[in-house]
Amino acid sequence: MSIQIFRVVELVMRSACSNTIRSRSYMRKAGLAPVGPPGLCVPVLHRRAYSLDSLSSGPGRPTLGSSSQQPRTERTSPSAALAHRSLSAVAVQGQCRPMCQYDFLDVGQEEENVRRAMSCKKIRHFIVDPDLAKVVAQHIEPGLAKSIIFECNPGPGVLTRTLLNAGAQRIVALEEDKSFLHDLQELEGHLDGQLEVVHCDYFKLDPMGKGNPRPPTMFSDKLFTDLGISESSWTDDIPVKVVGILPQHNERGMLLRMAYALFERMSVYRYGRVELNLFMSEKEYLKLVSRPGSMFNYRAFTVLWQMSCDIDLLHKEPWESFVKSKQGASKRKGRLPNDHLCLVRLRPRADLFSDGLSPSNASTLLMMVKQCLAKRKVKLIDRLNVWSPDSGSRLLSELGMPLDILTGNVFPEEYLQLFQLMDKSKEFTQSWLYEEVLENTQREGWA
Amino acid sequence: MSVLRVCALAQSLSRRSLLEKCALRGYSADCCRLCASLRSGAVRRISETPLQLQRRNVSFVIPKTEAAKKRVLEQSQLFDVLDARIQQLQTDIALNIQHAEVQVVKAGSSGRGASSSRGPKSTSKEKIVILQSGAKGTSKPQQSRWIEKLALEKNAKSKKSKSSSQVLPGTSHKTISTAAKKTKPAIKTDRGGTKLSDKSHAVVYSKAASTASTAHNVSKGKWKDSQNQHHGEKEQNLTDNDAHSKAMELAEVEKLERRPSQQANMWTSCRVPETVDSEERASGDMQMSIRSYLEACVFAGDIERASHFLLSQHRVIRRRKLMNTDIYNILMRVWAKKCLLHQIGRIFILLEEAGLKPNLGSYCAALECMGRSPSCTPKVVTRCLNQMQQDGLSVDDMFSQCVFRQDEKDMVLKAMRIVQPDYQPCLKLTTNEGYTSLVQDFYTQRNDHHYPKLDFTQEKLLDGFKRQLDVEQACTVTINSVEADKPVTANMAKMRALLAMQRAQWQKSLLQALRETKTILASTNTKDYKFNLYPYLCVLEDREYVDIMIQSVANLPPSGDSLKIIAGDLGNRVYTKYSVRQKHQNQMVEKLSKIYCSYTDLLAKDTKEYDVLPREQWCNLEMELTSGPMLQGGETSWPYIVTLDLGTCLVDMMVKSLKINSDILNPAQERKRIPILYHMYTFRSIRQIGFIKIHPILSQMQQEAMETKLTFDSSVMPMLCPPVPWTSMKFGAYLLTPAKLMRTVDGAVQHEALLEKCQNLHAVLDSLNQLGSCAWRINKPLLDIIISIFNDRGNDKLDVPPPLSEAPKAPHFNPQDPNHTSSEKAHLKREVIMAKKKYTEMHSLRMDALYKLSIANHMRDDIFWFPHNMDFRGRTYPCPPHFNHLGSDVTRAILLFAEGKPLGPKGLDWLKIHLVNLTGLKKRSSLQGRLEYANTIMEDILDSADNPLNGKKWWMNADEPWQALACCMEIATAVRSPDPAQFISNFPVHQDGSCNGLQHYAALGRDVIGATSVNLMPCDMPQDVYSGVAQQVEEFRAEDAASGVKIAKVLDGFISRKVVKQTVMTVVYGVTRYGGRLQIEKRLKEIDEFPKEHVWDASHYLVRLVFTGLKEMFTGTREIQDWLTESARLISKSGHTVEWVTPLGLPVIQPYHRTRNQMMKSSMQHINLKINYDIKERPDTVKQKNAFPPNFIHSLDSTHMMLTSLHCYSAGLTFVSVHDCFWTHALTVDTMNKVCREQFVALHSQPILEDLSNFLLQKYCNRVQTEAKNKKYQEYRRLLLLLGKVPQTGDFDLEQVKESTYFFS
Repeated sequence: MSIQIFRVVELVMRSACSNTIRSRSYMRKAGLAPVGPPGLCVPVLHRRAYSLDSLSSGPGRPTLGSSSQQPRTERTSPSAALAHRSLSAVAVQGQCRPMCQYDFLDVGQEEENVRRAMSCKKIRHFIVDPDLAKVVAQHIEPGLAKSIIFECNPGPGVLTRTLLNAGAQRIVALEEDKSFLHDLQELEGHLDGQLEVVHCDYFKLDPMGKGNPRPPTMFSDKLFTDLGISESSWTDDIPVKVVGILPQHNERGMLLRMAYALFERMSVYRYGRVELNLFMSEKEYLKLVSRPGSMFNYRAFTVLWQMSCDIDLLHKEPWESFVKSKQGASKRKGRLPNDHLCLVRLRPRADLFSDGLSPSNASTLLMMVKQCLAKRKVKLIDRLNVWSPDSGSRLLSELGMPLDILTGNVFPEEYLQLFQLMDKSKEFTQSWLYEEVLENTQREGWA
Repeated sequence: MSVLRVCALAQSLSRRSLLEKCALRGYSADCCRLCASLRSGAVRRISETPLQLQRRNVSFVIPKTEAAKKRVLEQSQLFDVLDARIQQLQTDIALNIQHAEVQVVKAGSSGRGASSSRGPKSTSKEKIVILQSGAKGTSKPQQSRWIEKLALEKNAKSKKSKSSSQVLPGTSHKTISTAAKKTKPAIKTDRGGTKLSDKSHAVVYSKAASTASTAHNVSKGKWKDSQNQHHGEKEQNLTDNDAHSKAMELAEVEKLERRPSQQANMWTSCRVPETVDSEERASGDMQMSIRSYLEACVFAGDIERASHFLLSQHRVIRRRKLMNTDIYNILMRVWAKKCLLHQIGRIFILLEEAGLKPNLGSYCAALECMGRSPSCTPKVVTRCLNQMQQDGLSVDDMFSQCVFRQDEKDMVLKAMRIVQPDYQPCLKLTTNEGYTSLVQDFYTQRNDHHYPKLDFTQEKLLDGFKRQLDVEQACTVTINSVEADKPVTANMAKMRALLAMQRAQWQKSLLQALRETKTILASTNTKDYKFNLYPYLCVLEDREYVDIMIQSVANLPPSGDSLKIIAGDLGNRVYTKYSVRQKHQNQMVEKLSKIYCSYTDLLAKDTKEYDVLPREQWCNLEMELTSGPMLQGGETSWPYIVTLDLGTCLVDMMVKSLKINSDILNPAQERKRIPILYHMYTFRSIRQIGFIKIHPILSQMQQEAMETKLTFDSSVMPMLCPPVPWTSMKFGAYLLTPAKLMRTVDGAVQHEALLEKCQNLHAVLDSLNQLGSCAWRINKPLLDIIISIFNDRGNDKLDVPPPLSEAPKAPHFNPQDPNHTSSEKAHLKREVIMAKKKYTEMHSLRMDALYKLSIANHMRDDIFWFPHNMDFRGRTYPCPPHFNHLGSDVTRAILLFAEGKPLGPKGLDWLKIHLVNLTGLKKRSSLQGRLEYANTIMEDILDSADNPLNGKKWWMNADEPWQALACCMEIATAVRSPDPAQFISNFPVHQDGSCNGLQHYAALGRDVIGATSVNLMPCDMPQDVYSGVAQQVEEFRAEDAASGVKIAKVLDGFISRKVVKQTVMTVVYGVTRYGGRLQIEKRLKEIDEFPKEHVWDASHYLVRLVFTGLKEMFTGTREIQDWLTESARLISKSGHTVEWVTPLGLPVIQPYHRTRNQMMKSSMQHINLKINYDIKERPDTVKQKNAFPPNFIHSLDSTHMMLTSLHCYSAGLTFVSVHDCFWTHALTVDTMNKVCREQFVALHSQPILEDLSNFLLQKYCNRVQTEAKNKKYQEYRRLLLLLGKVPQTGDFDLEQVKESTYFFS
């Protein structure tokens, strides 16, 4: 099972990296939702007490009280998941849709779904295969947390139904294409509040331009207000889990935008630590998790995401398993393998904004990281000296870094420390770096 | 040479082992072949005598191109030959330099330039080809084989076509019919065949190597087979479909194919020959690089480096292939100057080695050298002449075609006279042949022509010439800015002093940095054949580089600029200065002065009348004055990448060495040396752009100092004497500063190549000369008023940008302040950003106005000229960029004709009508109506003229307030003069085409309704398209509002002519909905009453209505537009760039191609050049198709303008144009109007669309199509049918335009 192999690799890699320290401190601070390596812990505050049922405890399936540390080795069988959902529905019968006790939601004929997906006018990928949807649903664990699930561009709604079947309490389906809206709304009507459908493109939230955006473009505050979600503190539990496929035409641009928003707590991140579960192309994923020293792949967005989030690879699926609506240009061969779409979980760290980093000065951090990593094979000390002459050697020696270190060899954590040092020192606040920051955010949206 | 040979011998010992190693290491087969080919080539070269050598070289020049085409399939065959050859050679002891050296080169063959990156594959192939044709001795047997094959094929074809009843196989046998094309199609069809029977051919060819004749037969057989098979398939296809209709269509295709060749096309004279071979193009960049490198070396006197470089290029086979004879000639010239005949001989040998043929330039250098040497015997010269004759070159051609510098011509003559003492070169006069029918009469019948004279004495013109020469020799001009009048405060004085001190310091450190860089570069010669910036850093004095750099610091905007732009700018400055100095070195200045002096005879008022055009006069003068250098120096312009590289190098120096003390403004701070420039990145999406910024401390100092000197390049200033007439693509406009005839993107060369091939550009050149010949002066009273407002607080409404002190203050906020909520912070942040953006905008507007006004102020007492050039569609522009008559209302208002003419009987009326036109008030009134209106408001007019700033300010509400004010003043003085008809007026009166793009469309389609609405049809009242469209839009809106569309209701009462005007005007020029929306948004924002929150929605809504409205009104236009678009789409899809020729003979090519990325690597940053004009790349279909209709219409309106300008010149008028707005004196408006209408009719009486259709057919549809690719053939046929189907025209009578008052008004 390739997933397993990958998981092992990942574990090894993670233990090799300095992430462990961070994870530990994370656990200490936010004891409520311990996360470590994926799937190892189980939320203690489990709302679904009624799921204590023999049927639901499939192998490896987390159950209440069993805080087993065993890695998940096997997938829950589909039937177990179905049963699970059914039971939960029974359990909350009073507030449930009438038909739920009879049947699970039928995900529909696959051919029909494929046809509808293919009719989409934009180049998009769709999850149509029910098994794939189940795998994704298991990773999202819809029944477990109290987070709301935002499903981006569900299309024919295979994953939506699977998630509902798996026991999701509240799903918001954000669909940008009008042609899918009708069916989704119909489904919404059948249910009793578990599903809300909004004509909205998650990846076009908060446009830069002026004027009144029309659906599917929207401002995030409108979306969240309409949904009745209020702003929460950063250290609170995860309010929203986003599930979707990153648009292929501008993956990295999207990732950059989202990273900016996260650091400055703009856009959706005003409402707390929104967790992303996104399918992205393998090559972008590999860049996202690349480590210092890999000069070609180690980019600014790598540093920013690694600094701010726990990154877990949940699943890898070959491109062919997805239905592509339009045949665009064939993928160009790059240096990195790119045969899969990777489901990656980006869970923001609760302790991100401590030790001097705050959303208000984060823009300078962003600027610093971007300026440093524009070229990876330059000496860090040169960059520092440009920002504030003669201060480079002092900073580096304070951090215990060699004086001739290249910018591509510095770990994300070290960048954070460097920034914290810089932010404390007076010299840098007079540097032009602080002026630049304001000027350049305009290009990146996220008002 | 002998030393090298010894070296080579030493290496030869290891030859065998080297070869083996090569194979062992598993190099590709290519690589092995490379070694082999090199060796065999080298050995042969030694074994043959020089005589044989030469013959061989000559012979294989011809088959080279053909050979290149079939090289792929012949590689295998070749390999066998080579194998045999290797074996043979391994017994040979002799070894050669080339071999050894190339081995070395191959190891590290990472070239720097563009074409070297094409990789070793292609070059190795080329080598093989060369070798192969050499190995076969001559190419003759090969050629005859082709012909045989052709005949055979033809036979087969005719049989087939007979047997296949009425079905015509359409394509391939058609083109064979012309004898001239015989060889080419044969090769092509052969290629097609190869694809079918690749294997068999491969076999055949490998056999061919050993037993040529038998193999030949086999191949014939195979060929036949594949043909048969092929035809079978095709027939099948055809019978399956509806055979009859197919046949009809095919017949039509056939007809169309024949059409262009049958018709005696008027464009054939200027038709561009078949495009250059792709390899030739690929090498263009590199050739230019090599040339400019060598020339720079030679210029700097570094002859050792030059000859070393040439030799190293020559040695590297990959590079040698890119060289041409002209490159070798550069060095020959040098040796000729030094009188070293044996060195020239050596280069002749090199030429032969490279397989090149000496050309006129080579012999010219040789003769020059002989002429220079005091003891040259007639025998030597005769031998040279004989050889020249053998090469088929004539001495007379040499004198008429070669470029002579300095005293070269005299020396060559001297050499000639050693053998023929009374030799006199017979020069052919340029003939007036090949004019297009449009201007045939203009050039041949000149009896009625009265060319105007300038209103100045010869003395005055020559005085201007001297001053202009001084300016251009200095390359820069420093002038006082208009802000100089402001009082100097203590702080300003202090800052100025500080800055001056810093500058002195910077100068020193830059000088030092430059010298260090040069030392380093001079010694890094690890690989000789690589380019090095060193010679480019030697062409000027060190001090001059430093000055250029210091100047660029002063010009940097406070928000910085991208590295690419700054570097390009610096590089260009260096180049300009270099080419001016080059002209000096070539002793051109003296000659220029002489010719210019005689040339003024033609222009000045105190000399006799001439009946020749300025260009002709200049050419004649040049012809008469034979001795000395030629003025068309033939300097190579630097490739863009070299300019950029040099610029980056200079920027790097600046960033590294320019420093300032951090405590210079605030002594409390700790003292550090901080750099004043820093290199950083800005980010657009995932792209990152290198940026150079000024440190805030310096920009603060610069702002507070408010320095009053501005330094400009001399090319930015208007000229002080009449520009040099364009006599060819390369020569004209400024005296010394290089200028381009056609404006292009940096680095694009295809336009120039096209122009160079074009045989008759005279009409275009003459028209540009006419436009440039107009003398201007400043309207001083108006300039003073504008400057006073500018120096006060500016005025946005009057388009005088306010100073930065008027900029909105950025709200200051502390991001850490807990009192703000996050959304408030976001809002504040946004405001800060907006304020900064506004600030930058204001700065650039202010600087722009400052430049314009300062230049105008500097010129206030002078007479000046604007030299003109054109863009790739033929639209003309004045060369000086800031201050010219194309500019805004402000700049137009301060310009007057230098020459005055009496108003005459109708002049005053024209002035009044012009004034009303400028107000934009009475667009729908007749001329009489406008005149009456003007008479009713005379009081306001006079008041405006007398009290512009304190009176009723009537003029301020005009559309073009400043021009209106100027006109008011002119009218006031005229009416107050004793006799207005005698009043001498310098005031230009404009006549505007009413929606000129649509006029051309309407005329093309003879569309009656369209023609009426754009005033081609005589009417009592002017028709106004814009109002028409606005009306239509208003109707739509009312409907929508009635049916409850919210935005339609909001817009009630806001739809006016002004809102839609710009969009309607630009729709013909291809504006998209996106751009249209922006235009409308801008208009709506200008309406104060319009609710701002609706602007976005409303603009969206309106642009849709405008588009639908236009579609309903102009159906004929749309048909033509669609035909053009579709043609361009198919042409571009078939892989070609859209090209056409204007009725005046100007070739146009659309420079839109897929982008190619080229990396310019420097230590500071790699700059990625996105090159989209490269013909090698596939065309960008979307751009090609979208841009074709507007570009075509632009090429027509430019033609109309040029025709008008030519005929106005012959009628003695002053005429200038702003595209579709023509200017002249009030006296001559009527004459100009007549000419303008006549020329419009003349232009459109030509079968423009038919000619276009024929041209396109001939260009894109006269090649053989392989029937194998059925899909391709379908596409080809669709293109053919489309191009042949010119849109139907209506029945508008064109002659009526001549009677239409409001056509241009």
